[in-house]
Amino acid sequence: MSSMQMEKNRSAGLWGRIVSVLNRLGFSPYGAVALVVVAVLPLIPPFNQEHMIRWLITGAFLAAQAAAFDFTSGYINVVNFGFAALLGVGAYTSAILANEMPFLIVQPGISPWIGIWIGALVAGVLGLGLGWLTLRLRGIFAAVMAWFVGIALMGLVRNLTPLTRGSLGLHPPTLLETTDNLPYYYIIIVMMLVVYISLRLVTRSRFGLAFKAIGQNIDAARASGINPTFYRVLNFALSCAFAGWLGGFYAHYVASLTPNTLMHTSKTVEVLAMAYIGGRGSMWGGMVISFPFVFFIEFLRSNLTELPGLHLVIYGVLMILVMIFYPDGLAGLVDWVKAKIKGNL
Amino acid sequence: MKEKTSFIGSLQETISQKVPATIVLVGTLVLAVALGAVGGASQVINSVITGGMWALMAVGLALVFGVSNIPHFAHGESFMVGAYVAYFVFTPVHEWLQQNPNAFLSAVAPFLGIFVAGLVGLVLGVFLERVLFYPLRLRSKAGEWVMNAFLLTVGISFILTNGTTLVLGPNFLGIPRYWDVEPLVLLGARVSVDRIMAFAIAMLSIGALWFFLRRTRTGRAIRAVAQDEVGAQMMGINLNFIYPLTFALATAMAAISGAGLLFLFQAYPTVGLQPLYLAWYVVMMAGLGNVVGAIVGGFIVGVLQTATQQFAGIVWVDVIPTIVMIAVLLIVPSGIFGSEVKGIQEQ
Repeated sequence: MSSMQMEKNRSAGLWGRIVSVLNRLGFSPYGAVALVVVAVLPLIPPFNQEHMIRWLITGAFLAAQAAAFDFTSGYINVVNFGFAALLGVGAYTSAILANEMPFLIVQPGISPWIGIWIGALVAGVLGLGLGWLTLRLRGIFAAVMAWFVGIALMGLVRNLTPLTRGSLGLHPPTLLETTDNLPYYYIIIVMMLVVYISLRLVTRSRFGLAFKAIGQNIDAARASGINPTFYRVLNFALSCAFAGWLGGFYAHYVASLTPNTLMHTSKTVEVLAMAYIGGRGSMWGGMVISFPFVFFIEFLRSNLTELPGLHLVIYGVLMILVMIFYPDGLAGLVDWVKAKIKGNL
Repeated sequence: MKEKTSFIGSLQETISQKVPATIVLVGTLVLAVALGAVGGASQVINSVITGGMWALMAVGLALVFGVSNIPHFAHGESFMVGAYVAYFVFTPVHEWLQQNPNAFLSAVAPFLGIFVAGLVGLVLGVFLERVLFYPLRLRSKAGEWVMNAFLLTVGISFILTNGTTLVLGPNFLGIPRYWDVEPLVLLGARVSVDRIMAFAIAMLSIGALWFFLRRTRTGRAIRAVAQDEVGAQMMGINLNFIYPLTFALATAMAAISGAGLLFLFQAYPTVGLQPLYLAWYVVMMAGLGNVVGAIVGGFIVGVLQTATQQFAGIVWVDVIPTIVMIAVLLIVPSGIFGSEVKGIQEQ
């Protein structure tokens, strides 16, 4: 099938070559069009207002998280319930490293542009350790243990006040001098693409095959000579590192960190809902759905201010409906439509 | 295996075969003694009393996992519902009683709130099982059930928490105490009657459940399903009766915990998070699905919790239990009392 596709691509000349390059990066032609739309959207009138651009940034941030989350839950079937906590670890690491103010006990004053990477590294190493300890156990144990560790990390951040100021919140410097949102939007879009493309490249390699095998049937995978713990830990650590990296962006974009708004379990559930509504194991489903979803949610939030939390209830209801009645999510729906169209041709 | 019917009997059976359990139990006793020496008798009594409530929470969790293989993440929300129901039942009655004093009714009114909370828990449990888990069970493939059910309960928890915020607001609703009487003096420590009653209610509920599971036909059917689903079905046990019943019992027990601890926790949308965490902690430590283990584990965690607060600095309060848990799971992955649940062996 794929070789036939490649034949077809080769014969189609330039267009075919573009498609094959895109394909290698994990984009279908439709995906590429969607990406172009997303890239020019903040320049087109209704969307070029500052608050709309902020929504777009939230959407891209959520999309990148959903991709990193789905890399673990959709492929090796381990729900990383401490995802938000690890994101928070990255955010706090970068924020503390960038601190120059006297109210913390350390003032390293390292540029956020470097700190973000250190944050990713710390989150990745933490994920590696956590995975190494818990991923020899079955999926449900690993999920609950990640949750415990997430709660412990949040408690640590809340109580380690000399370093984090606890619930008072930390105000790290921003990435850029400007108060304009547009540059941040392109930064997060690039970060989102880096997350998606690198994870897609991993899943396209033989690692991806091993991940899928482990996710579907761990015993069969073990019998075929795959070391499940090794691959699961690798996958988990990579996902955590990206979470930490994205956390660094959040820290230096929002410039206000508190343990509860960043590391709470409900934050993980929001990402989980995106990944599941988008379609488990597709990675792109959650990304595609994040943008319209954030707009829908923010629209609700700004128009129904007397009903706080309604958007979260809708989140939950949608997630449950998708889980019970349509577990393939948006990605499954798209595949179904594609198959229908092909059948009719 | 020989059937042991008494609680002590099965406890002995569980312990005598398990070295890790013995070590943990001895360690807990040492901790409790140290706690008593440093913090006084009130510390020990308080940890035992809260331990009783965690046991009640954990028993429900263990039961649901053992019987229907649902890793119940919305168990804390049942606690929350119980707390709210008790508040809305007890407060008007209490106000009425203040205008029309009546000693007998004042003593009974709290039980009314807790009882209604338990009833609402039963109804909620049946509703959730039939409306959400039943269709999911029909659609799930064998190996995917545990994870799918887990995620479904996450969704339920999310909806219940935020739905409550939406309807009732994020405010704390609470009562200062259930019983307006002087605290009792136990071993030199003053312990409020509310705490003692909460403990008594927890023990009574656990005892009633124990009797139900061991001595009634339906209870035996529940245990049969936990041991072997297919075998139980072949014996004519109707799973469509057992599953909702188990879920309802678990929800009711969590609701009773929430109602019983209303004076301590108050009622607010996210009140369930800590009880949920502790119940999960107990169940993971004792062994997933192990009901006896969950009862003992509740007390162990009660002591561990108080001891961490007493001996470790505030910074490490959340970290030490997690480290202990990781150590336990690395050494005895199926929990200190062991777990023979079929569900964990599946992915």
